[in-house]
Amino acid sequence: MQAVSPAPKSEANILTFPRLGMLSSERALIGAHILVALLAISIGLLLGPAQAYRRAPALQWEIPVFSYYYQALTLHGVLNALVFTTFFIVGFSYFVVQRSLQRALASVTVGWIAWVLMFVGTLLAGYAMLTGQANVLYTFYAPMLAHWTFYLGLALVIVGSWVAGGDIFATYLLWRRANPGKAAPLAVFATVANFIMWISASLGVAIEVLTMLLPLSLGIVQTTDPQVSRILFWFFGHPLVYFWLLPAYTSWYTMMPIQFRVPIFSETLARVAFIMIMIVSIPIGVHHLFVDPGVSEVAKVMHSLLTFTVSVPSFLTAFNIAATLERAGRARGSTGLLGWMLKLEWSNPVMVSQILGMMMFIIGGVTGLMNASFTLNVALHNTTWVPGHFHTTLAGGVFMTYMSILYWMLPIMRGRKLFSRPLATAQAYTWFVGMLLFGVSMGRAGLEGASRRTDVGSMQVISEYWAPWLNITAVAGTILLISIVLLFIVVIGTWFFSKGDPEDPAPITTAAPSSAPLWTERWSLWIALIVISNVVMWGPVLFEGLNFVNGFWSVGYPMN
Amino acid sequence: MHIDRLERNYLIAVALVLGVFFAALIAGALVFGVRLPTATAFVNPLALADTPFANPGLRDLGDGKYEAVIVAGMWRFQVGTNEFDETGHEIMRVPVNSEVTFTITSRDITHGFMIEFHNANMEIVPGQVARQTITFRRPGEYHVQCHEYCGRDHANMFFTIIVEDAAVRAPA
Repeated sequence: MQAVSPAPKSEANILTFPRLGMLSSERALIGAHILVALLAISIGLLLGPAQAYRRAPALQWEIPVFSYYYQALTLHGVLNALVFTTFFIVGFSYFVVQRSLQRALASVTVGWIAWVLMFVGTLLAGYAMLTGQANVLYTFYAPMLAHWTFYLGLALVIVGSWVAGGDIFATYLLWRRANPGKAAPLAVFATVANFIMWISASLGVAIEVLTMLLPLSLGIVQTTDPQVSRILFWFFGHPLVYFWLLPAYTSWYTMMPIQFRVPIFSETLARVAFIMIMIVSIPIGVHHLFVDPGVSEVAKVMHSLLTFTVSVPSFLTAFNIAATLERAGRARGSTGLLGWMLKLEWSNPVMVSQILGMMMFIIGGVTGLMNASFTLNVALHNTTWVPGHFHTTLAGGVFMTYMSILYWMLPIMRGRKLFSRPLATAQAYTWFVGMLLFGVSMGRAGLEGASRRTDVGSMQVISEYWAPWLNITAVAGTILLISIVLLFIVVIGTWFFSKGDPEDPAPITTAAPSSAPLWTERWSLWIALIVISNVVMWGPVLFEGLNFVNGFWSVGYPMN
Repeated sequence: MHIDRLERNYLIAVALVLGVFFAALIAGALVFGVRLPTATAFVNPLALADTPFANPGLRDLGDGKYEAVIVAGMWRFQVGTNEFDETGHEIMRVPVNSEVTFTITSRDITHGFMIEFHNANMEIVPGQVARQTITFRRPGEYHVQCHEYCGRDHANMFFTIIVEDAAVRAPA
């Protein structure tokens, strides 16, 4: 039966967005998200170098303001990895969806409700952390206990992001109803995939916080189970890193080709990559629990195998993006095998931050595969190798791509020129050099047995094997401190002082190419696969972790 | 679905590389004996007095095999020895080439256990018994660090294992 496509319901829904500015409805809501994200890292980033100085055996400097190392570390993790990322991603996703679909959000009011939930949550968690009542780090493993405002705050941030995701789904579905038989633009496809994955995954941590940790901190229940809480946390913890990564992939796949004025190498395989990540990023989280006592070796091997599988979409991405970049270089007249690399606008901050971020992400991907190898993991787990790894992914590929986005989005949002292109470019280069040095030296220290999350400044016994490498992290921290100062100058300058019109237009495409296969948007099928794969991969782990005979028998320990 | 020829070949190469990596992992576990802790037993962290953890210590099982029963708590490992280093932390002595099974649990919150330069790495989760077997082939002093954040003095939660060369040991 041939379905007759009805004409679009209302052409009046199509909005025209200015190339070098924002509509007022966009500006307030998206700006509110970007502002909170930037305020969060204004504290979170500065604590990074301070910790490197504290952990360098040659220095052991006390951390300014937050002299208790673990309070500073909690703030660094929560503000950078949870608050900054979530606000930035939600704001960026609103921008992408509205612009690509040429329509307003399904409900701006719901968007504001989501923002208020997340903001109040940030204030509550911030209160607990700043007053030293939540020194539990950003993984908050039970039965360590924080003040109840910490857990309630984090729960509100997560619930707020679900509301935001609902608004994005509704916007997409309204567009789809008005455009039957059409594929959505790739950026919208990626955003929808990201929020489906995020909402599925964060169910785990929401259950952990709302049924275990919050009641324990309020004294409603007296006991808990640390192993079960770790299992629930890491149901969420790995897709969390993909929640950070997919907006960066969105920029690489959909924005960079526009910025270089070349078509993407393969849109179909880009969609395949997003689908694979959406489904496979959750049933692999046991690779964070490889050395846990309450999880069987069989589950560990199975999750290791699937972790290898989730590297395939990233390998696909590496090929697809490199091929697209090669096209860009050749379109600019390069010849020879590698000459195209020299033609990639190495003095444009938007391009430099993004491309250097990709290069660092390659290291993050390779070290990630090493972490996923369970026999190697015995040598690496909880050593400084692990933060070395995720500073090349989150603080490398992801953060540098977010800064690349910021360098075109902030001028459009404020209606001003980027404050200084040379300083912004210098920020990207210093960040790359500093973070690369940090990642390598943390990795080396870890191989020599330095343990992560440890206040080296108060240690009685320091090993000669890893001490030199941690001293190098202080050098890296200094380079990064310079980069942070440059970032603050560019952001504050662009926000308040800069003169002139924005230069880089929003790199958004409003149409999907005719080749985009519609079957990729059968979301109910993907959601069914998410449910099935997790029942199979996580069900036995949870069953084994639960102590059915004796129940929960750990009491909480406040970490003040 | 159209896939470029180069891209298809690349994907095949990726699959082959990943396959080889995974085969190497399985070989590492089965041939070289690099094993992970696995689910063993539950234990009540508030009632360790009724369990083997009431008496931590190193037991000689004969044939060069030992079992080390250890209780982790904020912020020390109860190893059951009477020898301490100059910082007041426990010292455990084992002969070279001995095969030691570490059986550890926690009395309070989650701790970690890592022997430097050995494949010994465990999370010590309250309510669970963690177990790993290590063969000490090289004489020397090895630092054993709690590597899971456990509060204020986490950085100084450690003990030392001294692997003694048979030649320098006093005759029994």
